[in-house]
Amino acid sequence: MTRIGLLRVIAALTAIVTALLLQGSVVAPLVAPTPVSLPAVLVAAVALVDGPGAGLALGFSAGLVADLTTRHPVGVLALAWLLVGVFCGALAVPRVEVSLGAVNPTPVRHVLMRDAVIAAVACAASSLGAALLLTALGKDGAMLTPAFAHLLPTLAGDAVLAVPVVVLARMMLRWAHLRAPAASAVVSAHG
Amino acid sequence: MASITRVGPHRLLRRLTRRQRLSTLLLSVVAIGFITLDLGGSGLESAHTGVRGSFGALYRGTDSVLGPARRWLQGLPSAGSNEAKLDDLRAANEQLRGQLSAAEQQRSDARQLARLGSITAVQADGASVLAARVVAIGAGEGFDWTVTLDKGSADGLAAGQTVTDGAGLVGRVLHADKTSAVVLLAADPGSGVGARDSRNGEIGISTGAGMDGFTFRPLNPDAKLKVGDQLSTGPSQDSSYLAGLAIGTITSVTTSTDGTVTAHVKPVSSPTSLDVLGVVVPAAPPDSAATDPAAGVTPR
Repeated sequence: MTRIGLLRVIAALTAIVTALLLQGSVVAPLVAPTPVSLPAVLVAAVALVDGPGAGLALGFSAGLVADLTTRHPVGVLALAWLLVGVFCGALAVPRVEVSLGAVNPTPVRHVLMRDAVIAAVACAASSLGAALLLTALGKDGAMLTPAFAHLLPTLAGDAVLAVPVVVLARMMLRWAHLRAPAASAVVSAHG
Repeated sequence: MASITRVGPHRLLRRLTRRQRLSTLLLSVVAIGFITLDLGGSGLESAHTGVRGSFGALYRGTDSVLGPARRWLQGLPSAGSNEAKLDDLRAANEQLRGQLSAAEQQRSDARQLARLGSITAVQADGASVLAARVVAIGAGEGFDWTVTLDKGSADGLAAGQTVTDGAGLVGRVLHADKTSAVVLLAADPGSGVGARDSRNGEIGISTGAGMDGFTFRPLNPDAKLKVGDQLSTGPSQDSSYLAGLAIGTITSVTTSTDGTVTAHVKPVSSPTSLDVLGVVVPAAPPDSAATDPAAGVTPR
């Protein structure tokens, strides 16, 4: 593994563990029983800058770790967050377009707003999807009525979390060592 | 790098590369494979235990830093009134003494130790209530009705022990790791508690209904339930819960066309505002108590 590759893995692991710890000890107690999810928002925010490759890898691994700490079947959140990563990655605005803000008609502020909205929608949809999947599997804990009843509060909660997280993700990923190689290639293709 | 699609400013959706499509497909299949494997109940338990144990320890650390701010935001009582909570738990402990067989000499020991202020668990006759703090709720998403406590098997906690908040039933210990434990709340829709109507003695099953409290179904189809009836945990043979703890109050009774009676129950303790809880730890077996005089008494 190259040095940059190793750095990216360490950064991703740190981000996942931090997000999961903050979710369990701060976010979840404050918003329970609404399934607002900081790790899902993080996956979305990173994917929206770094593209589908980073999104799917981060989504799958974060989901897998989260699954292992819960009592529902392993793989549910891995699948849900993998799809969040791919979907948000497909809608990513590469760094280069944002950093060329001076000549580009899209200012950074608008990109961040757009990112936050996409992240919130994707995460709320993934929570609903995971709840539906668990209900379909007949697993304890998931119920159909609350899953729909919590949709709008979840969307609002995810949006509140998404604003700082997308800003943070774009700031962190400005650092070349943490950027996806593909995104760097896009930069050089434009440059 | 020829496969990377150039992105035009008007093009919203970037096409995924062939490799990314393949990875998505592959990882989805892996995830579905895991789900199938775990549904079958095989193989992944040691991975669960390892990750849960590590996160339990990390939650304790995180809670010691961020816990006070979170509790303030949540409007939970802080240090001062936690004393009141501990008093409640001690009162619950006293109640347990009545339910279990009495042994007087333990009591004076317990009083003395309590006076010394050096213990969190007071050994009562047969069982003790160990005070523990909630350091995390669920994980990842909100549809897991569990909380993580800052005490574990090292403090005497084990799977199946009843958890109370001093006022009533909260749940039971699902897993106990070394320094942390996961509690399944009775409000979990998959959780069934043997319950007894304290007015007429009808027994039945109280199923968790999340924020809606419980749904009570009496075993006797002709049971006469009334709004306002108090439910408590029932006969303990088949249930892992300690008998006699308050569950809640019946708020409505429904009789379906086939004559089945169900009742909605308002819980005594809210599942989303839990802080200091008490775990009912049964007495250690006599042989281990002889070798370890401190069994059941945990120094702070």
